[in-house]
Amino acid sequence: MSTSGRIADVLPAVRGAVEDLGSVAVPTTERDRERRRIAALCAPFAVLLVVAGVYPLLEVVRISVSVERFETVGFTLSAYRTLVTDPYYRRVAFNTLWFAALTTLVSVALAVPIAHALEKYDLPGEGLFVTLVSFPISLPGIVAAFMMLVLFGNNGVLTNVVATFAGANPTDVAVAVSVPGLFLAFVYSMVPRATLILRGTYAEVEEAAEEAAQALGATPLQTFRYVTFPQIRPGITGALILTFRTGLAIFGTLIVIQTLLVWTLQLDRELSAGAFPVAGAMATVYFVFVFGFTALGLRYTSAEVGL
Amino acid sequence: MTALSRRFGRPAVTLVLLVTVTFLIAPVALTIVGSFAREWTGVFPAGFVTFRNWAEVLGLADSIGSQRSMGWDPLVVLPVGDGLTLMAPAELLFSVGLALGGVLINLVVGVPIAYAVSRYEFRGKEWVNAVSVLPLVPGVILGVAFLRAYPVLSGTSFGLIVGYSLLKAPFMVMAVQSEFESMPLRQLEESARSLGASWPRTFLTVVVPNARSGIVSGAIICWTLAAAEFNFSYVVWAKGTQPLALFLQRHISNSTFTKAAAAVSMFFCIVVAITLLLQAFGTRGFDTRGT
Repeated sequence: MSTSGRIADVLPAVRGAVEDLGSVAVPTTERDRERRRIAALCAPFAVLLVVAGVYPLLEVVRISVSVERFETVGFTLSAYRTLVTDPYYRRVAFNTLWFAALTTLVSVALAVPIAHALEKYDLPGEGLFVTLVSFPISLPGIVAAFMMLVLFGNNGVLTNVVATFAGANPTDVAVAVSVPGLFLAFVYSMVPRATLILRGTYAEVEEAAEEAAQALGATPLQTFRYVTFPQIRPGITGALILTFRTGLAIFGTLIVIQTLLVWTLQLDRELSAGAFPVAGAMATVYFVFVFGFTALGLRYTSAEVGL
Repeated sequence: MTALSRRFGRPAVTLVLLVTVTFLIAPVALTIVGSFAREWTGVFPAGFVTFRNWAEVLGLADSIGSQRSMGWDPLVVLPVGDGLTLMAPAELLFSVGLALGGVLINLVVGVPIAYAVSRYEFRGKEWVNAVSVLPLVPGVILGVAFLRAYPVLSGTSFGLIVGYSLLKAPFMVMAVQSEFESMPLRQLEESARSLGASWPRTFLTVVVPNARSGIVSGAIICWTLAAAEFNFSYVVWAKGTQPLALFLQRHISNSTFTKAAAAVSMFFCIVVAITLLLQAFGTRGFDTRGT
């Protein structure tokens, strides 16, 4: 009796869903036809997302709770327990977070004046500057690392200049393969991306208000502080969130300059060691963390969605 | 205090720009210069001009071991005389092809969803938009996922192409969407429909050609990023011809400094060349059809 009652409750909902599907497949009204078009337009992306994104990620979650190393069998949380209790992994997590946070702050702090100069000042050769600042966006992390070797490595130009003046051995002065060198390599990759986002924000700043402030005697600093800054603040928040994501995802740079053990590098080492459950758990934690803070960041701040 | 920012504000901001641009571009220039040098042990590279580094990297001179250069594969056999075989450097060709494959998938999945979000109102639109423009999975994580889900397929060209296309799809959607948003989509669609074109025909022959500049720039961005993709390739690649980014990494880690400089410079050249090529090809291809 109760079962049939429940079925009777469920039935209209099921029928509704079936009718929805039916109207998409065999549309009768213009509204139905539009829905079918939207479904058709979204379908290719959805297929790619499921085949290349959702299903592989589910497999990662399954292996992370597997009892066996190479097969998905049983259920255990031991990989996650290792991540939480082992001080080694806690230190890796700590390294990852402070390093990405600090490089993000420095990169965005540099990107604000760069975007300001490019958008507000009439500089000679402005188009060239835009091209030059954007060029490193298409360089992979390994190339960014090589750029740091060129400047600060054992053979590096700046290393040799400093060594010549200080009368020291170049290898003692070289900083490329050190944590500060890695820091500069991160900033090399992140500044152009942060600048790209902030230039977009600057393009929407209302100039009339700035001109009014200037006309009323505000200094450039006051104009920036009280008129420009409030307008670009959502852009800065967005740039912070997305540059932080970039910083967390960096991996190639770390392959060349292996001086700091962060999450992505450790993940690769687990893979090489064949520790699939731990690697899977690390990937899952990473994905959930990044997804979570991006969603929260974009939901609860006025940041703009973008790359 | 107030005079300070009036006096030094603009020079200080401009200085930050100049120093940063120097920091970004000076090593690029030094790398290109260094690739033509015989040795680079002092402050500046020395022993100009030699093409030996380039020749070795491109596989035109003999090299061994982990420093070995590109292999050469037959590309096409021309019907001249006994059949003249055109050869192409394998790694280069491989990466160009992989990235183009990724761009093709991006066109098929990216352009329609960008149109759906720009043109129509529907439930869950914000979510569809967020999912399509945010790069959700970083390369390393996607690599691990591919290894688990498709153990056989992940290391093949097909696996690499599919991975690249998912990783770079947001850039295509963003570029095309911003183009669509500057177009009067509703009028365009309704005019074409009222003149008797079916909806699929309207989309393919009216809407898409009109958005060509956004589509071409999206394709260029996706191509460059896919050709440079290292993280995903590094995790899934197993054997055979290496994608370009792995080839670069092998040289950076193992070769002499000048030779690594030649390999990296070659990459700079490719990025610039293909960008110009796609731009020229893209606009011409669409223009002849449009008029």
